[in-house]
Amino acid sequence: MKPLLTAIVTGASEGLGKAFSVELARRGINLLMVSLPGTGLNHLSTYLQKSFDVKADYLELDLTLQESYTGIFDYLKQNNTTAHILINNVGLGNWDWFIDKSTAFYKTQLELNVMTPVMLTRVFLGQVDDSVTSYILNVGSLGGLFVVPKKATYGASKAFIAYFTKCMQLELHGRNVKMSLLSPGGINTKPELLVMNQKLKGIAAATIFEAEDVARIAIDGLFKGKKEIVPGAANKFLVTLNGLLPAFIKNAIVKRKLKDHG
Amino acid sequence: MKILVTGATGFIGRQLCLKLAQAGNHVIALCRNTQHPYLIPHANIAPIKGDILDTASLKAAIQDCDQVYHTAAMAKMWCRNPNEFYDTNVTGTINVMEAAKAAGIKRIVYTSTCGVWGPTLKHPMTEDDPRVVGFPIAYERTKYLAELEVNKFVANGLDVVTVNPSRVFGEGPVTDSNSVSKMVGGYLKGKWRIIPGDGSQISNYAYLDDVVDGHILSMEKGLTGNRYILGGEDKSFDEFFATLKEVSGKELGMIKVPQKVIKFYSRIEALKSQLTGLAPFFLPEFADRINFNQKYSSQKAIDHLGYRITPFAEGMKRTVNFLRNNAN
Repeated sequence: MKPLLTAIVTGASEGLGKAFSVELARRGINLLMVSLPGTGLNHLSTYLQKSFDVKADYLELDLTLQESYTGIFDYLKQNNTTAHILINNVGLGNWDWFIDKSTAFYKTQLELNVMTPVMLTRVFLGQVDDSVTSYILNVGSLGGLFVVPKKATYGASKAFIAYFTKCMQLELHGRNVKMSLLSPGGINTKPELLVMNQKLKGIAAATIFEAEDVARIAIDGLFKGKKEIVPGAANKFLVTLNGLLPAFIKNAIVKRKLKDHG
Repeated sequence: MKILVTGATGFIGRQLCLKLAQAGNHVIALCRNTQHPYLIPHANIAPIKGDILDTASLKAAIQDCDQVYHTAAMAKMWCRNPNEFYDTNVTGTINVMEAAKAAGIKRIVYTSTCGVWGPTLKHPMTEDDPRVVGFPIAYERTKYLAELEVNKFVANGLDVVTVNPSRVFGEGPVTDSNSVSKMVGGYLKGKWRIIPGDGSQISNYAYLDDVVDGHILSMEKGLTGNRYILGGEDKSFDEFFATLKEVSGKELGMIKVPQKVIKFYSRIEALKSQLTGLAPFFLPEFADRINFNQKYSSQKAIDHLGYRITPFAEGMKRTVNFLRNNAN
């Protein structure tokens, strides 16, 4: 019999995090979902428990707070549970000129995108049991690969995650822990993205995915022990192209794009 | 009582106008064409020319009204101009809410759809259940975005109750946006012989009169800011056509078309529409739905509002009789 696994999903109430929760529950994996209070985790939990034969616990926490990291694992300990899967999904995106956002915004963004996954990975690795395979999925972004304006901090935070993951993959060699980097293109998640992504055409439209498809591909890749998961042929093509094109051509393309936007 | 109904020529709106008028209300029926054939003539129904995208016409129509039923929407599968979905369903709804706020309307019933939840995983969906798939279907996406806008108005003190009908069928004109009537009408003429998929796909079918009553009950008893699913019975395609055969007494040899075939065909249709601008018969995002059930529970409306569900066979019988008597 397969051991009962428990997965921690951060940012579980909406978008990709919700899709991860559904996908894992569908595979019979117990959940500990984490999101801010008042984001509907109670309804999601009830729904997943009645739809699938799993435990779907949740914690309403602010992941920018230091005590939240240990709070998650204290909760598991109280329930005599070891987490085998960590989905470092929480993150805050934006699309603004750097000067247009406040220092408070950048502090929150970097806490969520950089600090939280690092801290949770640290605490998670402290409690894993090497006799059972454990998995960590870090949600990066193709934005961590391409240097684009208006994505200064977001892109840098995702580049951090990519470096962190690749380095940890080397360190974890020989241990029974698998770590994957998910590098998705655009995902139809938030309402404003639903509107914006509709307007895309051609290759740009082909880079956009529904959250449930990204989640399915990502969990498949995670269990197969893939180092980096890039959903979609168009996105894979962009990654290859990025490796081939010299920097000055890429910069020229970006600059021209910016001119188009005035 | 003076009541504004938007979408007065629509499948739900026209019947709602009639029911409200018969109850002695003074109904202002907002329509883009006051000579529209679907508009029901009645002494208490005053058709007024207007458009939810024309705020001046809304302002004029809403004046002195006590209540508003906002049923107008772009519910077709496809539009030549894809922005029409957003404009009508989101911007139009914002316009109606703003006009209602400015006019001091006491309560608005907003007609959303069960499409905001979409497919079902296991049990029938309830109002509290989350959506678990994305929004590839333009109608569902824009109706969801419109609900978010309505929520903002509720947070700012506007009294809105939202109703979410499932797949509505009943005695009314066969329009582009009513797929059930198209199937039933086609079946009666011997032209519809297709069962999509393997026949096991379940949908929820709401009888028009129940849905109209549900609107009025929501106006009377609904809780501000709440949503109420107005559905009917969950039926598979096999059950649907078995009932249709039974109540119509007409037996057709039906062909089950596998989902993959429909998906392939829908891709060709989508390409055709892209190249020619002609309306597609079917689209890939709808073909994907054949793999899912769409089951919904009306229990909250039954408990809170006293909503009643006409048995599916009875509703189908009346629909068949209506379509036979009004065959064109």
